[in-house]
Amino acid sequence: MKQLAILLLLFTFGSLSLAQELREGPVTPAFTPVSWERLVNAVDEPENWLMYSSTLDSQRHSGLNQVNTANVTELEFKWAYQIPEIDRAETTPLVVDGIMFITEAPSNIVAVDAVTGRQYWRYDHELPDDLRICCGRNNRGVAILGETLFMSTLDAHLVALDARTGNVRWDVEVADYAKGYSKTAAPLIVKDKVITGIAGGEFGIRGFIDAYDAQTGELAWRTYTIAGPGNPDVSSWSDDSWETGGGASWITGSYDVELNLIYWGTGNPGPDWNGDLRLGDNLYSDSALALNGDTGELEWYFQFTPHDVHDWDAIQVPILADIQYQGRERKVMMWANRNAFYYTIDRETGKFLLGNPYALQTWATGLDSDGRPIRVPGTTPTYEGVVVSPSIGGGTNWWSPSYSPQTGLFYVNAFDGEQKFFKRDEDYEEGQRFTGGGGQYIEPIDTYNSAIRAIDPSTGDIAWEFPIQPRTGAGILTTAGGLLFSGSVDGFFYALDASDGSELWHKSLGQRVHSAPMSFAVDGKQYVTVAAGNVVFTFGLPE
Amino acid sequence: MRWNNPFWWKSSLLSWVILALSLTILSQSATAQDEGNLYNTGVDARMGERYFQRQCSRCHGQDAKGGDETGAPDLTVNLSGASNDAGVYNIIRAGIQGTAMLPVPEDTPDSTVWQLVTYINSLRTDPANFDLPGSPSSGRMVYAGKGACASCHMINGQGGRLGPDLSRVGEQRDPDEIKTSLTDPGETVSPRWWTMRVTQQDGSIVEGLRMNEDTFGIRIIDQDANLWSFHKNQIQSYERVQDSTMPGYAQTLTESEIDDLVAYLFSLRKEN
Repeated sequence: MKQLAILLLLFTFGSLSLAQELREGPVTPAFTPVSWERLVNAVDEPENWLMYSSTLDSQRHSGLNQVNTANVTELEFKWAYQIPEIDRAETTPLVVDGIMFITEAPSNIVAVDAVTGRQYWRYDHELPDDLRICCGRNNRGVAILGETLFMSTLDAHLVALDARTGNVRWDVEVADYAKGYSKTAAPLIVKDKVITGIAGGEFGIRGFIDAYDAQTGELAWRTYTIAGPGNPDVSSWSDDSWETGGGASWITGSYDVELNLIYWGTGNPGPDWNGDLRLGDNLYSDSALALNGDTGELEWYFQFTPHDVHDWDAIQVPILADIQYQGRERKVMMWANRNAFYYTIDRETGKFLLGNPYALQTWATGLDSDGRPIRVPGTTPTYEGVVVSPSIGGGTNWWSPSYSPQTGLFYVNAFDGEQKFFKRDEDYEEGQRFTGGGGQYIEPIDTYNSAIRAIDPSTGDIAWEFPIQPRTGAGILTTAGGLLFSGSVDGFFYALDASDGSELWHKSLGQRVHSAPMSFAVDGKQYVTVAAGNVVFTFGLPE
Repeated sequence: MRWNNPFWWKSSLLSWVILALSLTILSQSATAQDEGNLYNTGVDARMGERYFQRQCSRCHGQDAKGGDETGAPDLTVNLSGASNDAGVYNIIRAGIQGTAMLPVPEDTPDSTVWQLVTYINSLRTDPANFDLPGSPSSGRMVYAGKGACASCHMINGQGGRLGPDLSRVGEQRDPDEIKTSLTDPGETVSPRWWTMRVTQQDGSIVEGLRMNEDTFGIRIIDQDANLWSFHKNQIQSYERVQDSTMPGYAQTLTESEIDDLVAYLFSLRKEN
């Protein structure tokens, strides 16, 4: 009798768990090739997340609305994927027709069933022991075209993998890692090319943005982010300082199909905190660049922080949208910069439209009519140290912002920090750090404010804010369900009402969220995924 | 077939012996033996500091007290992963596999790594470097008697819960810092020891020390050691109400009593 009861119990629970695992209807094969047309029209297939920032305009706005302000409180855990290497996951996975591609530290990738989190294949990139990396062993995502995935690696390679098996199609060296180059960002597909940046701004590199033939891995063009000989803008660098001028391009850019322009941010000039040997504006560090989509030629630039001495990289994802500005529709680019100012820029011409501080800052009294900062005297780093806001980490950092066409608001994770900035004399040595100083918090981190801030891009005004304690480092997702999802350093994943910032749902994931949430659907069911610590979590509504 | 061939076995065994010997020799040359650090002068410490500031401070902080953002450990306290100089050397030279702690570049000279070890050693408070005016044994009497320190602090499991555990305070603070915390306790108060006042929905008030706060909640311990957890959206308000609950001893203890107390607290270390 007892055995019968156990059998019945097993049968009952077995049926229940089967019911949870089974999809409705016959199983169909997952994955179909991702053409350039699919990428251009990614907004039309919200069930998939086809590129790092969801669409070429990088709005990170999901068109899915099954999970919405009315039912988000019902969200429940669906599955977790444990990344085997213990580190800080910064990945934004892609989802293509039911398959999720997750990048891992240091430079690995796994393909899993997006409904169960169970593995199809994995690829572990072999790395040398003596990497030269600035800030952790990160990989933030991949790009896909056709049946091929493209991934950056810490040894500054670009690897093309067969999306169905993980087999290597080609593997090219983008730059010599021993000289301080590395790669962490997801590439961007433009037509038949793989557009990719480079990291290493703390090692005296000369930054660039590359385009590779997606089929062969052959370099199609390279545009240096630091002006050199033959370019009149090299005069913005004293002596030969352009040679080690930094200007890394370590986050993914955006693309406007109609204008055929690639938009990409550039990082700090080198050395970071000692500008004495690189007098001048140091073009094109800390800038937004607009490059021709076919040739990579620089069409225009906008420099946010001329002659930066605080390490305030313009490494933010450019968000593109057409908005009403002063009574007419304008094609704009929205940019909350690490220097604590928010900018709305005409993306056809690079003309500055407006700019306001969105986080605590003490280094500028404002921006002039061209968007150039008016500096406060005495804020340059010294040998003894000088206290300035924002901190080195910035008013925000690489954490993806979002724009919701529903609300017309731009959302950013902001940090009202301050630090004591030091400068140091340092000679360039190939492959060694070349920063010329550093920074130090003067109060415990808990004393500073963080918040999600919603900004009206037509005025630069802050519409609302949601305070975060103690600090944030996550990206943002908005959805057609009227929701805003993000995370926090204290390990929460949460949902707000995107219209007014009111709190709707939160869940403690136990470790810092340093990634950006994304959403997808399989078989008509919407899911939301985020990485926390070294675990990827997926949530959905009850069956 | 070859599994049955005695010559294959012999030659194979010889290969394995050679390989094993090679690996042993390699592993010995790749790690430091504990033969003592020959680069341990003040000049070496300064050279090590220069290298540290350039190569290590991005993760470990300018003051080597660790990086909140990077998760890199505080190097000014005893290191959990290395018990002696050779252990520290080996971590710097080889890194810690599977973590963000990468090895220094292969061409980094041994002397530079040892200088770095010397600098890291200099960050820790070595009792031998201090000639203190007070007496630890007398200080222990002050701690237990006039100071009444045990009402709030624990040492080795004995004492109160309303202040930091002092069992290893000698590793964490130098004598000047200890003295300042006795005479001017409000100067720097860690957020862990902030006193918070929480007003609940019904208007009742709970005060206690801030154990932890996050975006959605706050957890405190009150005077009676009750643990409270509040959801921020279920209370009226919360605020920090005072800088420090620690009394200042500048008026209540004599200068020599304070010196004795400093000497006692500075003597509190793991080995004791």
